[in-house]
Amino acid sequence: MHEMQVVKIKKIIKETKRIKTFILDLDVSAIPGQFVMVWLPGVDEKPMSVSYTKGDLGITVLRLGDFTRRLFELSPGDMLGIRGPMGRGFKVYGDKLLLVGGGVGVAPLAPLAEEALAEGKEVTAIIGAITKSELLFVDRIEKAGGRVLISTDDGSAGKKGFTTDVLRELLEEETFDQCFTCGPEIMMAKVLDITREKKIPTQASLHRYFKCGIGICGQCVLDGIGLRVCKEGPTFRDKELRKSPEFGRYWRNAAGQKIYFGGKK
Amino acid sequence: MLEVELCGIKLRNPTMLASGILGTSGAALKRVALSGGAGAIVTKSIGLTPREGHRNPTVVEINGGLISAIGLANPGYEEFGDEIRVAKEGGVPVIGSVYGFNFGEYAAVAETLQKYGVDAIELNISYPNVGKAGAFFGYSEELSHEVVKEVKKRVSLPVFAKLTAGAGDIVAIAKACEDAGADAITAIGALRAMKIDLITGKPILGNEVGGLSGPCIKPIALRCVYEIAREVDIPVIGCGGITTGEDAVEFFLAGARAVQIGTGVLYRGITIFKKVSQEIKEYLEENGYSSVDEIVGLALR
Repeated sequence: MHEMQVVKIKKIIKETKRIKTFILDLDVSAIPGQFVMVWLPGVDEKPMSVSYTKGDLGITVLRLGDFTRRLFELSPGDMLGIRGPMGRGFKVYGDKLLLVGGGVGVAPLAPLAEEALAEGKEVTAIIGAITKSELLFVDRIEKAGGRVLISTDDGSAGKKGFTTDVLRELLEEETFDQCFTCGPEIMMAKVLDITREKKIPTQASLHRYFKCGIGICGQCVLDGIGLRVCKEGPTFRDKELRKSPEFGRYWRNAAGQKIYFGGKK
Repeated sequence: MLEVELCGIKLRNPTMLASGILGTSGAALKRVALSGGAGAIVTKSIGLTPREGHRNPTVVEINGGLISAIGLANPGYEEFGDEIRVAKEGGVPVIGSVYGFNFGEYAAVAETLQKYGVDAIELNISYPNVGKAGAFFGYSEELSHEVVKEVKKRVSLPVFAKLTAGAGDIVAIAKACEDAGADAITAIGALRAMKIDLITGKPILGNEVGGLSGPCIKPIALRCVYEIAREVDIPVIGCGGITTGEDAVEFFLAGARAVQIGTGVLYRGITIFKKVSQEIKEYLEENGYSSVDEIVGLALR
Protein backbone atom coordinates (compact mmCIF):
# COMPACT_ATOMS: atom_id res chain seq x y z
CA MET A 1 0.00 0.00 0.00
CA HIS A 2 1.29 3.44 -0.90
CA GLU A 3 0.26 5.47 2.09
CA MET A 4 0.72 9.23 2.03
CA GLN A 5 3.75 10.06 4.18
CA VAL A 6 4.19 13.64 5.26
CA VAL A 7 7.91 14.37 5.56
CA LYS A 8 10.23 17.31 6.24
CA ILE A 9 12.31 18.97 3.58
CA LYS A 10 15.89 18.56 4.82
CA LYS A 11 17.73 20.62 2.29
CA ILE A 12 17.03 22.70 -0.82
CA ILE A 13 19.67 23.11 -3.50
CA LYS A 14 19.34 25.79 -6.14
CA GLU A 15 20.60 24.02 -9.26
CA THR A 16 19.83 26.72 -11.83
CA LYS A 17 17.69 29.83 -12.01
CA ARG A 18 14.62 27.66 -12.63
CA ILE A 19 15.57 24.29 -11.12
CA LYS A 20 15.74 23.29 -7.46
CA THR A 21 16.50 20.00 -5.71
CA PHE A 22 14.54 19.11 -2.58
CA ILE A 23 16.21 16.56 -0.30
CA LEU A 24 13.60 14.93 1.90
CA ASP A 25 13.77 13.39 5.33
CA LEU A 26 12.77 10.06 3.84
CA ASP A 27 15.21 7.19 3.86
CA VAL A 28 13.87 4.84 1.21
CA SER A 29 15.69 3.54 -1.79
CA ALA A 30 14.39 4.00 -5.30
CA ILE A 31 15.40 2.71 -8.71
CA PRO A 32 16.50 5.52 -11.05
CA GLY A 33 13.51 6.30 -13.28
CA GLN A 34 10.94 5.78 -10.52
CA PHE A 35 8.76 8.66 -9.36
CA VAL A 36 7.02 9.92 -6.25
CA MET A 37 3.69 11.72 -5.98
CA VAL A 38 4.38 15.01 -4.23
CA TRP A 39 1.53 16.58 -2.25
CA LEU A 40 1.49 20.22 -1.27
CA PRO A 41 -1.39 20.34 1.21
CA GLY A 42 -4.13 22.61 -0.01
CA VAL A 43 -2.49 23.04 -3.42
CA ASP A 44 -2.14 19.91 -5.55
CA GLU A 45 -0.26 16.64 -5.98
CA LYS A 46 2.10 15.97 -8.90
CA PRO A 47 4.46 13.22 -10.02
CA MET A 48 8.18 14.00 -9.83
CA SER A 49 10.98 11.69 -10.80
CA VAL A 50 13.47 10.80 -8.12
CA SER A 51 16.89 12.42 -8.61
CA TYR A 52 18.54 11.10 -5.43
CA THR A 53 17.72 7.45 -4.97
CA LYS A 54 19.88 6.35 -2.04
CA GLY A 55 19.75 7.58 1.53
CA ASP A 56 17.53 10.62 1.77
CA LEU A 57 15.29 10.75 -1.24
CA GLY A 58 15.54 13.79 -3.51
CA ILE A 59 13.51 15.31 -6.30
CA THR A 60 14.67 17.90 -8.79
CA VAL A 61 12.04 20.26 -10.07
CA LEU A 62 11.68 22.83 -12.85
CA ARG A 63 9.55 25.86 -12.00
CA LEU A 64 6.82 25.75 -14.57
CA GLY A 65 3.32 26.43 -13.23
CA ASP A 66 1.38 27.20 -10.10
CA PHE A 67 2.28 23.99 -8.25
CA THR A 68 6.03 24.32 -8.77
CA ARG A 69 5.89 28.05 -7.98
CA ARG A 70 4.36 27.17 -4.59
CA LEU A 71 6.90 24.39 -4.11
CA PHE A 72 9.72 26.88 -4.75
CA GLU A 73 8.41 29.07 -1.91
CA LEU A 74 9.13 26.33 0.66
CA SER A 75 12.14 26.25 2.99
CA PRO A 76 14.01 23.46 4.77
CA GLY A 77 11.84 22.24 7.64
CA ASP A 78 8.60 22.63 5.69
CA MET A 79 6.50 19.55 5.04
CA LEU A 80 5.59 17.68 1.87
CA GLY A 81 3.36 14.65 1.36
CA ILE A 82 4.99 11.80 -0.53
CA ARG A 83 3.55 8.61 -2.06
CA GLY A 84 6.07 6.22 -3.49
CA PRO A 85 8.62 5.64 -4.95
CA MET A 86 6.44 4.01 -7.58
CA GLY A 87 6.53 2.84 -11.17
CA ARG A 88 9.09 0.95 -13.23
CA GLY A 89 12.63 2.28 -13.14
CA PHE A 90 15.30 1.99 -15.82
CA LYS A 91 16.67 -1.49 -16.42
CA VAL A 92 20.43 -1.59 -16.97
CA TYR A 93 22.04 -4.69 -18.47
CA GLY A 94 24.80 -3.35 -20.72
CA ASP A 95 28.30 -2.18 -19.81
CA LYS A 96 28.62 0.84 -22.05
CA LEU A 97 25.78 3.26 -21.47
CA LEU A 98 24.65 6.40 -23.21
CA LEU A 99 22.36 8.90 -21.49
CA VAL A 100 20.57 11.69 -23.32
CA GLY A 101 18.89 14.29 -21.11
CA GLY A 102 17.21 17.55 -22.01
CA GLY A 103 16.53 20.25 -19.42
CA VAL A 104 15.17 18.92 -16.13
CA GLY A 105 15.00 15.51 -17.83
CA VAL A 106 18.53 14.91 -16.56
CA ALA A 107 17.00 14.40 -13.07
CA PRO A 108 16.42 10.62 -13.28
CA LEU A 109 19.52 10.08 -15.43
CA ALA A 110 22.01 11.44 -12.85
CA PRO A 111 21.38 8.73 -10.23
CA LEU A 112 21.41 6.17 -13.05
CA ALA A 113 24.88 7.41 -14.07
CA GLU A 114 26.15 7.33 -10.49
CA GLU A 115 24.93 3.80 -9.86
CA ALA A 116 26.24 2.47 -13.16
CA LEU A 117 29.63 4.11 -12.68
CA ALA A 118 29.86 2.72 -9.14
CA GLU A 119 29.35 -0.73 -10.66
CA GLY A 120 32.24 -0.13 -13.06
CA LYS A 121 30.18 0.57 -16.16
CA GLU A 122 31.15 3.17 -18.73
CA VAL A 123 28.81 6.16 -18.96
CA THR A 124 28.56 8.92 -21.55
CA ALA A 125 25.92 11.57 -20.95
CA ILE A 126 24.68 14.08 -23.50
CA ILE A 127 23.16 16.95 -21.56
CA GLY A 128 21.25 19.75 -23.20
CA ALA A 129 19.60 22.96 -22.03
CA ILE A 130 18.41 26.23 -23.50
CA THR A 131 21.50 28.00 -22.17
CA LYS A 132 24.66 27.33 -20.16
CA SER A 133 23.22 28.41 -16.79
CA GLU A 134 20.31 25.98 -17.14
CA LEU A 135 22.50 22.88 -17.62
CA LEU A 136 21.69 20.32 -14.92
CA PHE A 137 23.97 17.85 -13.10
CA VAL A 138 26.99 18.20 -15.43
CA ASP A 139 29.36 18.35 -12.44
CA ARG A 140 27.54 15.59 -10.64
CA ILE A 141 27.94 13.12 -13.48
CA GLU A 142 31.55 14.15 -14.17
CA LYS A 143 32.41 13.83 -10.48
CA ALA A 144 31.04 10.28 -10.52
CA GLY A 145 33.43 9.53 -13.41
CA GLY A 146 31.14 9.92 -16.40
CA ARG A 147 31.93 11.62 -19.69
CA VAL A 148 29.63 14.56 -20.41
CA LEU A 149 28.89 16.10 -23.81
CA ILE A 150 26.94 19.33 -23.85
CA SER A 151 24.54 21.11 -26.15
CA THR A 152 22.81 24.45 -25.63
CA ASP A 153 20.16 26.03 -27.82
CA ASP A 154 22.06 29.35 -27.81
CA GLY A 155 25.57 27.92 -28.04
CA SER A 156 26.66 29.40 -24.69
CA ALA A 157 28.21 26.03 -23.79
CA GLY A 158 29.08 22.93 -25.76
CA LYS A 159 27.58 22.46 -29.17
CA LYS A 160 25.04 25.03 -30.36
CA GLY A 161 21.91 23.06 -31.09
CA PHE A 162 20.16 20.08 -29.59
CA THR A 163 21.16 16.91 -27.77
CA THR A 164 20.09 15.00 -30.86
CA ASP A 165 22.72 16.84 -32.95
CA VAL A 166 25.42 15.73 -30.52
CA LEU A 167 23.92 12.23 -30.48
CA ARG A 168 24.06 11.91 -34.27
CA GLU A 169 27.70 12.93 -34.40
CA LEU A 170 28.68 10.69 -31.50
CA LEU A 171 27.02 7.63 -33.02
CA GLU A 172 28.96 8.12 -36.25
CA GLU A 173 32.06 7.17 -34.29
CA GLU A 174 30.98 5.08 -31.35
CA THR A 175 28.39 2.58 -30.31
CA PHE A 176 26.79 1.73 -26.99
CA ASP A 177 25.07 -1.25 -25.37
CA GLN A 178 22.09 0.79 -24.20
CA CYS A 179 20.70 4.30 -24.33
CA PHE A 180 18.52 6.03 -21.72
CA THR A 181 16.71 9.26 -22.39
CA CYS A 182 14.55 11.76 -20.55
CA GLY A 183 13.47 15.22 -21.59
CA PRO A 184 10.95 16.91 -23.86
CA GLU A 185 9.00 14.17 -25.63
CA ILE A 186 9.72 15.46 -29.11
CA MET A 187 13.44 15.21 -28.28
CA MET A 188 13.00 11.66 -26.97
CA ALA A 189 11.11 10.63 -30.10
CA LYS A 190 14.06 11.88 -32.18
CA VAL A 191 16.53 10.07 -29.91
CA LEU A 192 14.60 6.85 -30.50
CA ASP A 193 14.68 7.38 -34.27
CA ILE A 194 18.44 7.87 -34.21
CA THR A 195 19.27 4.98 -31.86
CA ARG A 196 16.99 2.70 -33.86
CA GLU A 197 19.11 3.26 -36.98
CA LYS A 198 22.15 2.30 -34.94
CA LYS A 199 20.35 -0.62 -33.28
CA ILE A 200 20.95 0.63 -29.75
CA PRO A 201 18.20 -0.51 -27.37
CA THR A 202 16.76 2.59 -25.75
CA GLN A 203 14.61 3.30 -22.73
CA ALA A 204 12.76 6.59 -22.32
CA SER A 205 11.15 8.09 -19.24
CA LEU A 206 7.78 9.67 -20.01
CA HIS A 207 5.90 12.45 -18.36
CA ARG A 208 2.10 12.46 -18.34
CA TYR A 209 -0.63 14.13 -16.34
CA PHE A 210 -1.25 11.77 -13.40
CA LYS A 211 -4.22 11.42 -11.10
CA CYS A 212 -4.14 8.25 -9.00
CA GLY A 213 -0.49 7.34 -9.66
CA ILE A 214 -1.27 3.71 -8.80
CA GLY A 215 -2.61 2.34 -12.05
CA ILE A 216 -6.35 2.44 -11.60
CA CYS A 217 -7.76 5.70 -12.93
CA GLY A 218 -6.62 5.26 -16.52
CA GLN A 219 -5.62 8.90 -16.99
CA CYS A 220 -2.07 8.11 -18.19
CA VAL A 221 -2.72 5.07 -20.40
CA LEU A 222 -0.82 5.29 -23.69
CA ASP A 223 -2.84 4.89 -26.88
CA GLY A 224 -2.04 1.95 -29.10
CA ILE A 225 -0.38 -0.10 -26.36
CA GLY A 226 -2.71 0.42 -23.40
CA LEU A 227 0.22 0.67 -20.97
CA ARG A 228 -0.06 2.91 -17.91
CA VAL A 229 2.72 5.47 -17.55
CA CYS A 230 2.40 5.35 -13.74
CA LYS A 231 2.51 1.56 -13.50
CA GLU A 232 4.18 -0.08 -16.51
CA GLY A 233 6.18 3.15 -16.89
CA PRO A 234 7.29 5.84 -16.52
CA THR A 235 10.26 4.21 -18.28
CA PHE A 236 9.45 2.35 -21.48
CA ARG A 237 11.39 0.34 -24.04
CA ASP A 238 11.77 1.76 -27.54
CA LYS A 239 9.84 -1.16 -29.04
CA GLU A 240 6.87 -0.42 -26.75
CA LEU A 241 6.85 3.27 -27.61
CA ARG A 242 7.12 2.69 -31.34
CA LYS A 243 3.73 0.92 -31.19
CA SER A 244 2.07 3.95 -29.59
CA PRO A 245 0.73 6.61 -31.97
CA GLU A 246 0.65 8.90 -28.92
CA PHE A 247 4.40 8.94 -28.18
CA GLY A 248 6.03 12.10 -29.41
CA ARG A 249 2.71 13.48 -30.65
CA TYR A 250 0.25 14.19 -27.86
CA TRP A 251 -0.70 13.76 -24.22
CA ARG A 252 -4.03 13.90 -22.43
CA ASN A 253 -5.14 16.70 -20.14
CA ALA A 254 -7.07 16.20 -16.91
CA ALA A 255 -10.31 15.85 -18.88
CA GLY A 256 -8.75 13.12 -21.05
CA GLN A 257 -8.63 15.29 -24.17
CA LYS A 258 -5.68 14.94 -26.52
CA ILE A 259 -3.25 17.86 -26.43
CA TYR A 260 -0.73 17.86 -29.26
CA PHE A 261 2.91 18.74 -28.58
CA GLY A 262 3.71 22.01 -30.28
CA GLY A 263 -0.02 22.67 -30.68
CA LYS A 264 -0.29 20.88 -34.03
CA LYS A 265 -2.27 17.79 -34.97
CA MET B 1 -19.80 -22.68 -17.80
CA LEU B 2 -19.00 -19.04 -17.14
CA GLU B 3 -21.20 -17.52 -19.85
CA VAL B 4 -24.07 -15.40 -18.66
CA GLU B 5 -26.72 -13.36 -20.40
CA LEU B 6 -27.61 -9.92 -19.20
CA CYS B 7 -30.60 -8.18 -20.81
CA GLY B 8 -29.99 -10.14 -23.99
CA ILE B 9 -26.26 -9.35 -24.02
CA LYS B 10 -24.04 -12.41 -23.95
CA LEU B 11 -21.00 -12.23 -21.66
CA ARG B 12 -18.21 -14.81 -21.93
CA ASN B 13 -17.82 -14.58 -18.16
CA PRO B 14 -19.68 -12.66 -15.45
CA THR B 15 -16.87 -10.22 -14.57
CA MET B 16 -17.21 -6.66 -15.82
CA LEU B 17 -14.92 -3.69 -15.46
CA ALA B 18 -16.65 -1.18 -13.17
CA SER B 19 -17.07 2.39 -14.35
CA GLY B 20 -14.42 4.87 -13.28
CA ILE B 21 -11.52 2.44 -13.35
CA LEU B 22 -9.20 2.57 -16.39
CA GLY B 23 -12.09 3.71 -18.53
CA THR B 24 -11.07 7.10 -19.91
CA SER B 25 -9.50 5.84 -23.11
CA GLY B 26 -10.28 3.16 -25.64
CA ALA B 27 -6.74 1.78 -25.34
CA ALA B 28 -7.18 1.08 -21.64
CA LEU B 29 -10.63 -0.49 -22.09
CA LYS B 30 -9.35 -2.68 -24.89
CA ARG B 31 -6.48 -3.90 -22.74
CA VAL B 32 -8.88 -4.81 -19.90
CA ALA B 33 -10.87 -6.88 -22.39
CA LEU B 34 -7.94 -8.49 -24.22
CA SER B 35 -5.30 -9.11 -21.57
CA GLY B 36 -7.47 -8.57 -18.50
CA GLY B 37 -10.11 -11.08 -19.51
CA ALA B 38 -13.18 -9.04 -18.54
CA GLY B 39 -16.53 -10.30 -19.79
CA ALA B 40 -17.68 -6.74 -20.45
CA ILE B 41 -16.28 -3.27 -19.94
CA VAL B 42 -17.98 -0.17 -18.63
CA THR B 43 -16.58 3.19 -19.72
CA LYS B 44 -15.78 6.05 -17.41
CA SER B 45 -18.88 8.17 -16.94
CA ILE B 46 -19.28 10.52 -19.86
CA GLY B 47 -21.09 13.84 -19.76
CA LEU B 48 -22.10 16.62 -22.07
CA THR B 49 -18.98 18.78 -21.76
CA PRO B 50 -15.31 18.09 -21.04
CA ARG B 51 -14.51 18.13 -17.31
CA GLU B 52 -11.12 18.18 -15.67
CA GLY B 53 -12.52 16.93 -12.38
CA HIS B 54 -11.17 17.63 -8.92
CA ARG B 55 -7.60 18.64 -8.22
CA ASN B 56 -5.13 16.10 -6.84
CA PRO B 57 -4.79 14.20 -4.59
CA THR B 58 -7.73 12.43 -6.18
CA VAL B 59 -7.02 9.07 -4.57
CA VAL B 60 -5.89 8.01 -1.11
CA GLU B 61 -5.22 4.43 -0.06
CA ILE B 62 -6.49 3.23 3.31
CA ASN B 63 -6.73 -0.15 5.02
CA GLY B 64 -9.21 -2.20 3.06
CA GLY B 65 -9.75 0.14 0.17
CA LEU B 66 -9.45 3.47 -1.51
CA ILE B 67 -11.05 6.84 -1.15
CA SER B 68 -11.19 8.68 -4.44
CA ALA B 69 -12.61 11.88 -5.81
CA ILE B 70 -11.69 12.15 -9.47
CA GLY B 71 -14.68 14.42 -9.97
CA LEU B 72 -16.32 13.01 -13.12
CA ALA B 73 -13.36 13.99 -15.28
CA ASN B 74 -14.07 13.09 -18.90
CA PRO B 75 -13.42 14.45 -22.39
CA GLY B 76 -17.09 15.08 -23.13
CA TYR B 77 -19.35 12.97 -25.34
CA GLU B 78 -18.39 14.57 -28.62
CA GLU B 79 -14.81 13.34 -28.39
CA PHE B 80 -15.65 9.90 -27.05
CA GLY B 81 -16.65 8.15 -30.28
CA ASP B 82 -13.05 7.26 -31.15
CA GLU B 83 -12.50 5.77 -27.72
CA ILE B 84 -15.61 3.57 -28.03
CA ARG B 85 -14.43 2.40 -31.44
CA VAL B 86 -11.06 1.34 -29.99
CA ALA B 87 -12.72 -0.18 -26.89
CA LYS B 88 -14.88 -2.35 -29.12
CA GLU B 89 -11.75 -3.89 -30.64
CA GLY B 90 -11.51 -5.70 -27.31
CA GLY B 91 -14.26 -7.98 -28.60
CA VAL B 92 -16.49 -7.84 -25.51
CA PRO B 93 -19.66 -5.82 -24.85
CA VAL B 94 -18.98 -2.17 -24.11
CA ILE B 95 -21.33 -0.44 -21.70
CA GLY B 96 -21.43 3.33 -21.88
CA SER B 97 -21.65 5.00 -18.48
CA VAL B 98 -23.47 8.32 -18.48
CA TYR B 99 -23.77 11.11 -15.93
CA GLY B 100 -25.55 14.43 -16.12
CA PHE B 101 -26.61 17.51 -14.22
CA ASN B 102 -30.18 17.21 -15.54
CA PHE B 103 -32.43 14.70 -17.28
CA GLY B 104 -31.79 16.18 -20.71
CA GLU B 105 -28.04 15.75 -20.36
CA TYR B 106 -28.37 12.11 -19.36
CA ALA B 107 -30.66 11.48 -22.32
CA ALA B 108 -28.55 13.34 -24.88
CA VAL B 109 -25.32 11.64 -23.88
CA ALA B 110 -26.97 8.20 -23.74
CA GLU B 111 -28.41 8.71 -27.22
CA THR B 112 -24.99 9.68 -28.60
CA LEU B 113 -23.22 6.73 -26.96
CA GLN B 114 -25.84 4.47 -28.53
CA LYS B 115 -24.90 5.97 -31.90
CA TYR B 116 -21.23 5.24 -31.14
CA GLY B 117 -22.15 1.58 -30.90
CA VAL B 118 -22.14 0.72 -27.18
CA ASP B 119 -24.07 -2.41 -26.19
CA ALA B 120 -25.87 -0.92 -23.19
CA ILE B 121 -26.09 2.25 -21.16
CA GLU B 122 -25.33 2.45 -17.45
CA LEU B 123 -26.75 5.52 -15.77
CA ASN B 124 -24.45 6.85 -13.11
CA ILE B 125 -26.87 8.00 -10.43
CA SER B 126 -24.43 6.86 -7.76
CA TYR B 127 -21.38 9.14 -7.94
CA PRO B 128 -21.22 11.07 -4.68
CA ASN B 129 -18.50 13.69 -5.20
CA VAL B 130 -19.91 16.29 -7.58
CA GLY B 131 -22.77 18.43 -6.26
CA LYS B 132 -25.80 18.12 -8.47
CA ALA B 133 -24.81 15.20 -10.68
CA GLY B 134 -24.77 11.43 -10.19
CA ALA B 135 -25.91 10.52 -6.70
CA PHE B 136 -27.92 13.74 -6.51
CA PHE B 137 -30.45 11.82 -8.64
CA GLY B 138 -29.81 8.47 -7.01
CA TYR B 139 -30.69 9.73 -3.54
CA SER B 140 -34.29 10.39 -4.62
CA GLU B 141 -36.95 7.94 -5.87
CA GLU B 142 -38.59 10.64 -8.00
CA LEU B 143 -35.38 11.85 -9.65
CA SER B 144 -34.13 8.29 -10.26
CA HIS B 145 -37.44 7.42 -11.86
CA GLU B 146 -37.34 10.52 -14.10
CA VAL B 147 -33.77 9.96 -15.27
CA VAL B 148 -34.48 6.40 -16.28
CA LYS B 149 -37.75 7.36 -17.95
CA GLU B 150 -36.19 10.21 -19.96
CA VAL B 151 -33.28 8.05 -21.10
CA LYS B 152 -35.53 5.12 -22.02
CA LYS B 153 -37.50 7.47 -24.28
CA ARG B 154 -34.37 8.23 -26.27
CA VAL B 155 -32.49 4.93 -26.48
CA SER B 156 -33.45 1.42 -27.52
CA LEU B 157 -30.49 -0.25 -25.79
CA PRO B 158 -30.75 -1.91 -22.38
CA VAL B 159 -30.41 0.68 -19.62
CA PHE B 160 -28.77 -0.16 -16.29
CA ALA B 161 -29.16 2.13 -13.28
CA LYS B 162 -26.16 2.22 -10.95
CA LEU B 163 -27.32 2.98 -7.43
CA THR B 164 -25.72 4.27 -4.27
CA ALA B 165 -26.08 2.92 -0.75
CA GLY B 166 -25.97 6.55 0.31
CA ALA B 167 -29.68 6.66 -0.53
CA GLY B 168 -31.94 6.27 2.46
CA ASP B 169 -33.78 3.30 0.99
CA ILE B 170 -31.87 1.73 -1.89
CA VAL B 171 -34.58 -0.86 -2.46
CA ALA B 172 -37.17 1.88 -3.04
CA ILE B 173 -34.80 3.53 -5.52
CA ALA B 174 -34.29 0.22 -7.32
CA LYS B 175 -38.04 -0.25 -7.59
CA ALA B 176 -38.50 3.31 -8.86
CA CYS B 177 -35.92 2.59 -11.59
CA GLU B 178 -37.59 -0.71 -12.48
CA ASP B 179 -40.98 1.05 -12.72
CA ALA B 180 -39.45 3.63 -15.05
CA GLY B 181 -38.24 0.88 -17.36
CA ALA B 182 -34.68 0.18 -16.25
CA ASP B 183 -33.43 -3.14 -17.64
CA ALA B 184 -30.97 -3.86 -14.82
CA ILE B 185 -29.69 -2.47 -11.54
CA THR B 186 -26.01 -2.11 -10.69
CA ALA B 187 -25.36 -1.92 -6.94
CA ILE B 188 -23.41 -0.18 -5.48
CA GLY B 189 -21.20 2.83 -6.19
CA ALA B 190 -18.59 4.27 -3.83
CA LEU B 191 -19.66 5.61 -0.43
CA ARG B 192 -18.83 9.08 0.87
CA ALA B 193 -15.79 8.99 3.12
CA MET B 194 -12.66 10.94 4.02
CA LYS B 195 -9.10 10.75 5.33
CA ILE B 196 -7.29 13.38 7.36
CA ASP B 197 -3.51 13.63 7.61
CA LEU B 198 -2.35 13.85 11.23
CA ILE B 199 0.71 15.99 10.65
CA THR B 200 -0.84 18.73 8.55
CA GLY B 201 -4.28 18.27 10.10
CA LYS B 202 -5.79 18.53 6.62
CA PRO B 203 -8.04 16.26 4.54
CA ILE B 204 -5.76 14.59 2.01
CA LEU B 205 -8.11 14.59 -0.98
CA GLY B 206 -8.24 17.73 -3.09
CA ASN B 207 -12.03 17.51 -2.80
CA GLU B 208 -11.68 16.83 0.95
CA VAL B 209 -14.24 14.01 0.79
CA GLY B 210 -14.38 11.17 -1.69
CA GLY B 211 -15.93 7.81 -2.46
CA LEU B 212 -14.88 4.73 -0.53
CA SER B 213 -14.40 1.57 -2.58
CA GLY B 214 -12.68 -1.76 -2.19
CA PRO B 215 -12.99 -4.79 0.10
CA CYS B 216 -14.14 -2.69 3.06
CA ILE B 217 -17.46 -1.87 1.36
CA LYS B 218 -18.17 -5.43 0.20
CA PRO B 219 -20.50 -6.42 3.05
CA ILE B 220 -22.59 -3.31 2.46
CA ALA B 221 -22.75 -3.93 -1.29
CA LEU B 222 -23.70 -7.55 -0.70
CA ARG B 223 -26.52 -6.56 1.63
CA CYS B 224 -27.82 -4.08 -0.96
CA VAL B 225 -27.77 -6.65 -3.76
CA TYR B 226 -29.54 -9.16 -1.54
CA GLU B 227 -32.28 -6.72 -0.56
CA ILE B 228 -32.74 -5.40 -4.10
CA ALA B 229 -32.75 -8.81 -5.77
CA ARG B 230 -35.50 -9.89 -3.37
CA GLU B 231 -37.74 -7.05 -4.50
CA VAL B 232 -37.18 -6.51 -8.23
CA ASP B 233 -37.59 -8.76 -11.25
CA ILE B 234 -34.88 -7.20 -13.43
CA PRO B 235 -31.28 -8.47 -13.22
CA VAL B 236 -28.97 -7.09 -10.54
CA ILE B 237 -25.25 -6.55 -11.15
CA GLY B 238 -23.13 -6.68 -8.00
CA CYS B 239 -20.41 -4.09 -7.48
CA GLY B 240 -18.36 -3.15 -4.43
CA GLY B 241 -15.15 -4.71 -3.13
CA ILE B 242 -15.16 -7.82 -5.30
CA THR B 243 -11.57 -9.07 -5.43
CA THR B 244 -11.80 -12.86 -5.55
CA GLY B 245 -13.95 -15.58 -7.04
CA GLU B 246 -15.34 -16.24 -3.58
CA ASP B 247 -16.48 -12.63 -3.34
CA ALA B 248 -18.19 -12.96 -6.73
CA VAL B 249 -19.90 -16.19 -5.70
CA GLU B 250 -21.29 -14.47 -2.62
CA PHE B 251 -22.86 -11.86 -4.88
CA PHE B 252 -24.35 -14.54 -7.16
CA LEU B 253 -25.83 -16.29 -4.14
CA ALA B 254 -27.30 -12.94 -3.07
CA GLY B 255 -29.00 -12.63 -6.45
CA ALA B 256 -26.51 -10.88 -8.76
CA ARG B 257 -26.32 -12.11 -12.37
CA ALA B 258 -22.92 -10.57 -12.98
CA VAL B 259 -20.33 -8.62 -11.01
CA GLN B 260 -18.29 -5.51 -11.62
CA ILE B 261 -14.71 -5.15 -10.46
CA GLY B 262 -12.92 -1.83 -10.03
CA THR B 263 -10.63 -1.25 -7.09
CA GLY B 264 -9.67 -4.94 -7.22
CA VAL B 265 -7.40 -3.99 -10.15
CA LEU B 266 -5.17 -2.29 -7.58
CA TYR B 267 -4.71 -5.50 -5.62
CA ARG B 268 -4.55 -8.14 -8.34
CA GLY B 269 -3.65 -6.24 -11.50
CA ILE B 270 -5.46 -5.90 -14.80
CA THR B 271 -5.73 -9.70 -15.12
CA ILE B 272 -7.99 -9.83 -12.05
CA PHE B 273 -10.92 -10.58 -14.37
CA LYS B 274 -9.23 -13.76 -15.60
CA LYS B 275 -8.28 -14.75 -12.07
CA VAL B 276 -11.73 -14.17 -10.61
CA SER B 277 -13.36 -16.01 -13.53
CA GLN B 278 -11.09 -18.99 -12.97
CA GLU B 279 -11.92 -18.97 -9.26
CA ILE B 280 -15.65 -18.84 -9.99
CA LYS B 281 -15.23 -21.81 -12.32
CA GLU B 282 -13.39 -23.75 -9.64
CA TYR B 283 -16.18 -23.08 -7.15
CA LEU B 284 -18.85 -24.20 -9.60
CA GLU B 285 -16.96 -27.39 -10.46
CA GLU B 286 -16.15 -28.28 -6.88
CA ASN B 287 -19.77 -27.87 -5.90
CA GLY B 288 -21.29 -29.73 -8.83
CA TYR B 289 -22.78 -26.78 -10.71
CA SER B 290 -22.59 -26.38 -14.45
CA SER B 291 -23.37 -22.68 -14.81
CA VAL B 292 -23.36 -19.40 -12.93
CA ASP B 293 -27.13 -19.14 -13.41
CA GLU B 294 -27.66 -22.17 -11.19
CA ILE B 295 -26.39 -20.35 -8.12
CA VAL B 296 -27.95 -16.94 -8.73
CA GLY B 297 -30.17 -16.06 -5.80
CA LEU B 298 -29.70 -19.31 -3.87
CA ALA B 299 -29.41 -17.34 -0.65
CA LEU B 300 -32.80 -15.76 -1.32
CA ARG B 301 -34.71 -19.00 -1.44
